[in-house]
Amino acid sequence: MRVMKLSVKIYGTLQQQVPGYQHSKGIEVELADGATARDLLTRLKISDKQMAVIVMDGQILKENDAMREGAPIHLLQPVSGG
Amino acid sequence: MGAKGLKALIVEQGGKNADPVLDPDTFKASAKILAKIITEDPFSGSMLPNLGTAALVAPVNSLGAFPSINATQGVFEGWEKISAEAMAEIQKARGGQMKHTGCSQCIVHCSNEYLDANGKYLTGSLEYETIWAMGGMTGIDHFDTIARLDFLCDDIGVDTMSTGVGIAVAMDSGYKAFGDQSAAIEMVEELARGTTFGNILGQGPAAVGEHFNNSRVPVVKNQSIAAYDPRAMIGNGISYATSPMGGDHTAGNLVGAYLGQVLNPLEKPGQVEMSRELQYFNAGADNMGMCLMVYASLNSPEARDAFLGVINGFLGPERAVADLSVLGRQIIDAEREFNRNAGLTNKDDRLPKFFYEEPLPPHNTVFPFSGEEIDKTFDF
Repeated sequence: MRVMKLSVKIYGTLQQQVPGYQHSKGIEVELADGATARDLLTRLKISDKQMAVIVMDGQILKENDAMREGAPIHLLQPVSGG
Repeated sequence: MGAKGLKALIVEQGGKNADPVLDPDTFKASAKILAKIITEDPFSGSMLPNLGTAALVAPVNSLGAFPSINATQGVFEGWEKISAEAMAEIQKARGGQMKHTGCSQCIVHCSNEYLDANGKYLTGSLEYETIWAMGGMTGIDHFDTIARLDFLCDDIGVDTMSTGVGIAVAMDSGYKAFGDQSAAIEMVEELARGTTFGNILGQGPAAVGEHFNNSRVPVVKNQSIAAYDPRAMIGNGISYATSPMGGDHTAGNLVGAYLGQVLNPLEKPGQVEMSRELQYFNAGADNMGMCLMVYASLNSPEARDAFLGVINGFLGPERAVADLSVLGRQIIDAEREFNRNAGLTNKDDRLPKFFYEEPLPPHNTVFPFSGEEIDKTFDF
């Protein structure tokens, strides 16, 4: 099965969930081609309780949306207005 | 009030004791539940104490809705350098505080203390909207300069958002170049010196636009919009247009609904209704003296019951509030009536023309709601 390499940057306090994460470098995650947003959260061991949001190409992905190699991926937390 | 030379209002309570809590048992029990909900919420309990409101820089840029270079771009090229994550790194090295008790008795601690390169206090709290207005809008991606501009505004006693947007409008008019840090500082210092330009900037972005004959001024009812572009978070445009206060980010901010995936920020269905719902609830909750920062944690029925329990435990059964949104509606109705009596009409509930005409990158969308659709926010 083909593997894709995803470049992920993590924001907010979610950074603390991923051991060894360095923000200046981000993190590279290898997943099977066609992997979904849900697969990425599972790989990074981020629970539903964290309510993480994955953004690719300026759009929020739903959990079954597929990710694309080469697209910058941002892992964010829900925030409110400030 | 300022125009009439009024300096202060003193309200004397007429006695030595604060208002009594009429039902202390309900008040204490509800406050305990509410405090637990607020401190366990990921935003108010974790994100805000660690990163403050600046934590919004990343999500709003990621969604292409950070109005930059006087609202010509939705992603600011240098946003990573002015993000909360970058501020935390800078302040960690300098011994600054990302968590700080800004308000007495607060359980959130969203404030911060920003130190300069020599470890000396420069400003605090450095907030999201300031970082946007003084950074994204002006093209300045240097945190220490933004912090200096924040300090100057606090010291002079002017709003960072109106001042930052006024600087951006001046830059947009060719007065100075975007990204020119010393020019931005000079413009704010002119405010204090009372120069001709300083006096114009002190009157806000609309006055700056008029001075330069530039119609690219992001204001509603002459108040600056906030750090959410209405072409990429379209419900926020409804709130800017219809809030009796003008382009206000505290009236009905939908960013939480977008990141919580309740609504798509670029699609019309549900936006008008959500703006209305938030404006009513926020007006009611604001009236109780509650902080906007915890509203996101008040979504569940349990949280709203606890909040009402605190209010009604204090007020007692005779003055009990049954529904904050109903109260908020009364407040907004009164504010709208005030505006009507002051001569404002539904034609003032509109965004500046350029939001309808200039597509905002990267989504390349314009604000999609007609005047008739906007008017349905409160006439429904």
